[in-house]
Amino acid sequence: MQFRFEKRAEPSRIMLYATPVAAVLLTMVLGAIIFTIIGYDGIGAVREIFFTPLTNSLKWQDLAVKAAPLIIIGVGLSIGYRANVWNIGAEGQYIIGGLAATGVALLTQNMSGWWILPLMGIAGIAGGAAYVAVPAFLRVRLKVNEILTTLMLTYVAVNILNYLVFGPWKSPTSFGQPQTVAFNESQSLPYIIEGTIVQAGAPIAIIVALVAWFVMSRTIFGFQINTVGSAPKAAAYAGFSANKTILLALFISGGLAGLAGMLEAAGPFGRMVPQFPSNYGFTAIIVAFLGRLHPIGVLFAGIVLAITFVGGEVAQTTIALPNAAVGIFQAMMLFLLLAGDILIRYRVVRVVVAKGREAT
Amino acid sequence: MQNEVPPRLEMTGITKQFPGVLANDDVSFAIKRGEIHALLGENGAGKSTLVKMIYGIMRPDAGEMFWDGAPLKARNPKEARRLGIGMVFQHFSLFEALTVLENIALGMDGGLSSRALEARVREVLKAYKLTLDPHRVVSTLSVGERQRIEIVRALLLNPKLLIMDEPTSVLTPQEVTQLFKTLRQLASEGCSILYISHKLNEIKELCDTATILRGGKVVDECDPSKETSKSMAEKMIGGDLKAVAKGAERQFGEVQLAVRGLSLGRGHDFGTALKDISFSVHSGEIFGIAGVAGNGQNELLAALSGEQHAKADGVIELCGKPVGTSEPSTRRKAGLCAVPEERHGHAAVPDYSLANNGILTARHRRELVRSGLIKHSASHDFADEIIAEFGVMATGSKATAGSLSGGNLQKFIMGREILQTPEVLVISQPTWGVDAGAAAFIHQALVDMAQAGSAIVIISQDLDELLALSDTLSVINEGVLSAPMDVENASIEEIGLLMGGVHGETADSAKTLPTKPEAEHAVQV
Ligand SMILES: Nc1ncnc2c1ncn2[C@@H]1O[C@H](COP(=O)(O)OP(=O)(O)OP(=O)(O)O)[C@@H](O)[C@H]1O
Ligand SMILES: [Mg+2]
Repeated sequence: MQFRFEKRAEPSRIMLYATPVAAVLLTMVLGAIIFTIIGYDGIGAVREIFFTPLTNSLKWQDLAVKAAPLIIIGVGLSIGYRANVWNIGAEGQYIIGGLAATGVALLTQNMSGWWILPLMGIAGIAGGAAYVAVPAFLRVRLKVNEILTTLMLTYVAVNILNYLVFGPWKSPTSFGQPQTVAFNESQSLPYIIEGTIVQAGAPIAIIVALVAWFVMSRTIFGFQINTVGSAPKAAAYAGFSANKTILLALFISGGLAGLAGMLEAAGPFGRMVPQFPSNYGFTAIIVAFLGRLHPIGVLFAGIVLAITFVGGEVAQTTIALPNAAVGIFQAMMLFLLLAGDILIRYRVVRVVVAKGREAT
Repeated sequence: MQNEVPPRLEMTGITKQFPGVLANDDVSFAIKRGEIHALLGENGAGKSTLVKMIYGIMRPDAGEMFWDGAPLKARNPKEARRLGIGMVFQHFSLFEALTVLENIALGMDGGLSSRALEARVREVLKAYKLTLDPHRVVSTLSVGERQRIEIVRALLLNPKLLIMDEPTSVLTPQEVTQLFKTLRQLASEGCSILYISHKLNEIKELCDTATILRGGKVVDECDPSKETSKSMAEKMIGGDLKAVAKGAERQFGEVQLAVRGLSLGRGHDFGTALKDISFSVHSGEIFGIAGVAGNGQNELLAALSGEQHAKADGVIELCGKPVGTSEPSTRRKAGLCAVPEERHGHAAVPDYSLANNGILTARHRRELVRSGLIKHSASHDFADEIIAEFGVMATGSKATAGSLSGGNLQKFIMGREILQTPEVLVISQPTWGVDAGAAAFIHQALVDMAQAGSAIVIISQDLDELLALSDTLSVINEGVLSAPMDVENASIEEIGLLMGGVHGETADSAKTLPTKPEAEHAVQV
């Protein structure tokens, strides 16, 4: 008996949505086995990482806080990926977006007013978009691969951040701590649920996903993104400019990463600190793929990844699981998802040698 | 003595079901050794599906195949090749970014050094007098040249059964003549050939037996030499074939499309530069452009469609307005629709539904988009309209373009552009791969369009098609367009001479151009 891959005529829709779910479930099973083998409480690890954040209502607010930036960045990345533009430097654009917002905050330190937060938001989006402009123009003008440039610029962003918070932006009253002054009330996101830590980032993430869903499925712009990404020659024939699409796709992903940066700076952090880069930009890559590059999928995937983050912290304290365990779970999820993708495009055919017949 | 030898390939009861379509229904027939066996049938009759199962790409749902009397066990193309089954696909599976030689190497199962392989390739090219530069990158080749790679790839195997799925739809008459010599020689050496084509006069000339499929079933078997093209076509469609009525007294109106001194550099290393091309087409006129593939047809089409810009706006004038540097969408809105020769991935997106493929080019003229929003129901209606009017065999507007048979996708694309009723329509290979009935239908639609006042440019390698349809004819060779001639007074010899050859090939082969009796045209075209 042998197996081989046979291309499917039309990728099955059910499978399209089932694989991400299967990938998550399989991750739990394999994770439990692996951590048991290396001497931890494997079942406990899966319970703490995947279920405690859901069953313990005290953790829900943490989920909302963690999921928001993942979703916002993931939505932007998924739009870019659909256009076949591989921005993997969202982390850098997130940092610059946060810095741009901080810049506005520092300039408006002694002011107040409703307009400050929107201005910081615009600065964040503009900062993220401007930061991705470099790879964008290199790609369009000189055909430089954006995977490398966006990734490398992330490390530049980290250094810019450090330079600013250790240098010119350092708070005079921080007793030598590398951090800016705390944002004032007009510069901080409002809490949307009394008595919790959930700020305006969460509803904004939902709005971003819904708007992106509408744009990608209902507008000619979404059609253009998909066409340029999947059939560039047909796109040119249809009259969609490849370069314009690539630029727009990059600006959207950079801009949304920048927005996420602003929301984090003006939200949970409340000031700029060296710990600001929190890998949301990289994790959002997993979110984008787990969400099938679909805005609503990204919404759910963002929550799943947020669960692993929150659960990882729980597991650290309750069963002393090392923090790296979360990374292993997340990576396993991406790997299993990509493997599952093959099964969407191809079906495994069992080949019975006997009569030259097939059994599927 | 022949009778004792089992047939090379025998099929019994082959059945294959796709979602919503029974592509093959209890198909049984045999191919003898050294026989050239034609497989005929309308678009979507199930020909490609059947040969894909022989070659191990798909598995039948039911039925058995025997190879030299023993059960055929090819589970994949590699095993099929090892048995000596070679195949030339209707849609090529080539890697655009690789060279001809690299593509051939990828298809070879034995580990041959690239130098040895190149020597073998050159041997085959020479033996079969095919022109192809092994070091060219595939993305720079015309469809005809790509087809040649597939043919060479199959010939390299020394096959016992060679399957050819519409190998000549994009070959020049000279190449076809050469290919037939090759095939006959192969057959005399004992190689069986399963030959799929919609060009019935070729079938008559080449094949010993023909099996006719309709709706996935074998409906007849015949000896092509004892049939006429018309009688075979009628067996295929199970009805009468209408001849194209070329509106006798068509009135030419204003000049709708004027090209003045269009020159374009080579788009890529092996592209053809366009040199000072000038012509004009009137309303009501069908302007034919003949020529061997790879002589600038693709570049010309891109310059007209707007995918490439001319050097100055005034170089191309559409209904009196300069459009030489405007975008494809602008030109479409102004009345120019174009169809490139490559269907998969250029004229259509295989993964998209037919409705979305409609949006691709008809969104402006058919108003499928309003203020940036896609009108989904309008686009499904438009796709359904094309399916109905052009007799496209598809499960509906939601079917993906890739699930259509070759000829049906071509019908869909032609319908999409024709139903936009453009003032100017530029088409490359309008009937590439469509069956006789559909070809006649498309031709009639084009003639009717001209009658209604559109200006039509047809770029084709099929001289018969051009002679039957066009009012005016020019020949493109190495990027130069000959002076237009009246089709009434054109001589085939002259056209043949003008066509020259591929990339510097000389014109002496022009004499071998077939001249066909008039009666054949209605069917053949
Ligand atoms: N992968 C697929 N998924 C669904 N339907 C398919 C698929 N491939 C082919 N079909 C359908 O099966 C039928 C037979 O298709 P096939 O490609 O074999 O036709 P064909 O005889 O080769 O036609 P043509 O002359 O146009 O190439 C068509 O109705 C087609 O739409
Ligand atoms: Mg076919």
